[in-house]
Amino acid sequence: MAMRQTPLTCSGHTRPVVDLAFSGITPYGYFLISACKDGKPMLRQGDTGDWIGTFLGHKGAVWGATLNKEATKAATAAADFTAKVWDAVTGDEVLTLAHKHIVKSVNFTEDSTCLLTGGNDKVLRIYDLGKPEAEPLEIAGHTSAIKKALWCNNDQQILSAADDRTVRLWDKNTKEAVKTLAFDASVSSMEYIPDGEILVITYGRTIAFYNANSLDLIKAVDAPASIHSASLHPEKDFFVAGGDDFKLYKYDYTTKEEMESYKGHFGPIHCVRFSPDGELYASGSEDGTLRLWQTAVGKTYGLWKCVLPEELSSENSEVLYCPPAEIKA
Amino acid sequence: MTFILEIKRSSGLRFRRVLNETPVSVLRLPRGPEPNSRGFDPTSPRFIALCPTTLPSSSSSSGSADEEEQRLRAELRERFLRTLLLMTGKRVRFDMHEHVRVHARFGASDIDVLNLQVCDLETPLGVQREALLRSQDVIACSFEV
Repeated sequence: MAMRQTPLTCSGHTRPVVDLAFSGITPYGYFLISACKDGKPMLRQGDTGDWIGTFLGHKGAVWGATLNKEATKAATAAADFTAKVWDAVTGDEVLTLAHKHIVKSVNFTEDSTCLLTGGNDKVLRIYDLGKPEAEPLEIAGHTSAIKKALWCNNDQQILSAADDRTVRLWDKNTKEAVKTLAFDASVSSMEYIPDGEILVITYGRTIAFYNANSLDLIKAVDAPASIHSASLHPEKDFFVAGGDDFKLYKYDYTTKEEMESYKGHFGPIHCVRFSPDGELYASGSEDGTLRLWQTAVGKTYGLWKCVLPEELSSENSEVLYCPPAEIKA
Repeated sequence: MTFILEIKRSSGLRFRRVLNETPVSVLRLPRGPEPNSRGFDPTSPRFIALCPTTLPSSSSSSGSADEEEQRLRAELRERFLRTLLLMTGKRVRFDMHEHVRVHARFGASDIDVLNLQVCDLETPLGVQREALLRSQDVIACSFEV
């Protein structure tokens, strides 16, 4: 029997959701942080979407958010010219790092001791969280605002994407650009998969996959609409992408064929990420919501329950929420 | 002719698809934010397990410094409370803001030490039988033990 995807809508934000990130798998499950233009990033339980808390303190739109692997620390990048580090268990603000312009991206190293920031002042900064008063290491080179900055190659190198239509690979120690990729259009998103050293880049309608060490192109796929974000499944059998047409697309990574597309959001999709166990993916949209989607539609996981037809009509069935049937256009 | 047939066939397929697909059931919807709280429930298992040691600054050496500070704070608090007890019924001189200096018989303080209850408060306008002094206006108080 064919099952239709039921996305779980996480409400709470009052403005567009522009970034989201998952933690690793911890003894308490995995977690999800969302960055929103309302200035109030939120932490949620990753498999259910249940709200855990809101990080209060920023005075402007939050453009980037991240969690460390253990989900004990969070970092956010905001339009108030600061990046903040938070205790992700208590919700308390731990550190405020002043910048000279809007901060767009934050990323922890694997051991959570350093934080990488990048933003509209075009400079990458590395902060030692053990010595927060010390001046950060600065890496300059981009000629336009930095959109995304990520650690890669065991935290020895840095990948950055900027509005100057380049993606650059930097060596952390020499602070030099090792490689540069130039594009015809602005890069809308970047994802780094350490296991397999794959870099997922989106620009225009293209979702491209690169080797993160050599920056050699592995493959590229064109979507029906302009794509803002894409994510590769941990087992590298699927990838998902979303953008201007409000739809989420699911592709087979090996064959590059479009498998499914899902409607649901009421605005362009700004970010999409697979969970660390690959069982679901989360999307954030201009409509102010996050939605969770199943990778294997119909499987019992999180709040989704696989129900056999006999159970639906049985008198003893537990109370289940069955979404009303929507007629697809 | 062919064109019309194709439209019929494609809409027929779509109709069949909607009928056959059952939406996945959901136990409940994700919980949203609480209106009056920023969350991070201190009674959650994760909070209880991780709270004191979430950050690297909570190493064992600074842990004992925290304990020492706590001990000193407790000692100072106890000394303050005992002073208040000793002050009860005694004639106390209160030095306050704007160079105000008054004498009164101390009665008690409230639980948060926001107000001090005194009797026979000597003021330039005369002696006030009962009065409340606002603690934040008091700079110092002194009395004979």
